[in-house]
Amino acid sequence: MSRATAGVVLLVLASRAAPAQGVAVTVGPQFALVSYREVAAGLRYQGTGFGAAASARYGKLSAELGVLRLTLDPASGSAATSGFTATEVDAWVAYDFAVYASVEAGVIRRTADPEFAAQSVGAVRIGARSFYEIGPGATVLFRANYLAAPTFSGGGHASFSIDLGLGLDVRLAGRLHGTAGYTFQRISRKTNPGGTGEIDAPIQATVARVGLAVGF
Amino acid sequence: MIRHLCALALLAGFAAPAAGSAQAVQNATLRRAQQAYDNLEYRQVVSLARAALRERLTGPERARAYELLGFTYGAMDSILKAVDAFKQVVLIDPERQLDPNRVSPKAYSAFDVALRQVLLVRQLRVDSTTFVGGRGAVPIRFTVTQPARVVTRAIAGAGGGTYVIDSGAWNGQVNLSWPARLANGDPAPAGSYTVVVEARLGQNGFSASQPIRVSHGSVDTLPSLTTLPGYQYLSETEVPPQSWRPLGLAFLYTGGALIGTLGLESSSLGSSSKRELAVVGGAALVTGFVMTLRKPAPRPAAANILYNRLLRDQIARRNQDIAKENVARRQQVQLTVVPLSKPSGAGPR
Repeated sequence: MSRATAGVVLLVLASRAAPAQGVAVTVGPQFALVSYREVAAGLRYQGTGFGAAASARYGKLSAELGVLRLTLDPASGSAATSGFTATEVDAWVAYDFAVYASVEAGVIRRTADPEFAAQSVGAVRIGARSFYEIGPGATVLFRANYLAAPTFSGGGHASFSIDLGLGLDVRLAGRLHGTAGYTFQRISRKTNPGGTGEIDAPIQATVARVGLAVGF
Repeated sequence: MIRHLCALALLAGFAAPAAGSAQAVQNATLRRAQQAYDNLEYRQVVSLARAALRERLTGPERARAYELLGFTYGAMDSILKAVDAFKQVVLIDPERQLDPNRVSPKAYSAFDVALRQVLLVRQLRVDSTTFVGGRGAVPIRFTVTQPARVVTRAIAGAGGGTYVIDSGAWNGQVNLSWPARLANGDPAPAGSYTVVVEARLGQNGFSASQPIRVSHGSVDTLPSLTTLPGYQYLSETEVPPQSWRPLGLAFLYTGGALIGTLGLESSSLGSSSKRELAVVGGAALVTGFVMTLRKPAPRPAAANILYNRLLRDQIARRNQDIAKENVARRQQVQLTVVPLSKPSGAGPR
């Protein structure tokens, strides 16, 4: 059993016990569309993937966890010759400081396979989000996270990294929710290959996740 | 002619009360006296009534004989004799009352003078009543015909105690109230009592009595309140009016994501794919549109919630007061006082 599968099973098991503690939990699968660009405009990929997401809320505290397994192939006109597989893990914990807003912190970890087909990235998220119930059981969300202290498998650093998100959660029937999420990620990575001076090696990714979730 | 008519009317006034009481007469002499009175033969009335009084008569017959004498002396303008006769009437039947509309003014005034010359306790009345012990009283009314020292007592039957209700100097109409409590504050025990009114003036005395029954019952407790009269709980949620707000918010959030994406795109990487934003943003806009068409979700009505909280607090406070009141009421006794049929127990002493 893969680690991702084990994680999902663990989430489901945890979600079963949560309601007794007054915790609202949702767990469900997701389908993803992804676009990825790195270093230059010619190096771009597109792909799809599957994953799972879970969220929990206890009073003003909430947490989210998402795992995606993405398969990316060179887009048309791309200079890339081969695709790669990426695994992305996103996690947030948030605290509602207002009825429609919360501060949040978390981590992002995206790894590429083969290892050097693309940059693997890890960073700490710090940001805020705004959410609003636009109708019975329908909530939209907008988030902006600063990606602090990013690390890259190829080295280098990033002075400016940001992650924007748009989310939607609609209760379809009973405990069944429909979810959608959009993430735009921009990392202004700089690297110094061979000590010849810093060059820009930015990373830009957009991910759309659409899925179902069951509430407990 | 007019004087004759007046005399006839006057005589009819004298005759009315006597004729009305002629039915119970058994004594033959008294019947003849009554007949003579009806025939306006006053001298014969006097002799026959006096003869009847020398015979063996019942109490009512004796009172009737004196009453005939009183009316006859009144018709004969012998007012002092009429007064003496009426004094004997009221001593035999203290409750005797003349109707001023049916008897002559002379007879009525003679009767009234007779009443004032005899010490009597008349028209003793104890009204039926129900009250919580300590919070009410039994109304007692009577009339004393002369200024006298009057002592009113309640005497419990079957060897019970005697409770002084009032002691004072009275004359005329007297209204008393008896709280029906013992000296220690407890309610008077249930049972039969006799309210005795004793009037004393020098050597003269008179008493009247009225039997009553005092019964005990439990005091009704108050039910707890679930609502306050005139105040009702309000809905703690309210449905806002339908608006374009959901679609507007969806536009706002999607627009924010689009503007952020466009603004933060790296110039060196070129324009990023909008496929992902189109999928999610489109879903958000569709959802916003659907929610615009749907009935909005009820939202908490803060004012109503506050109002309901105040109402609940008020009801809780009232129920606490009611609970305290009920604790007190369970320790209380409801007294019911009912007058019983009166025996002929009154008379001069």
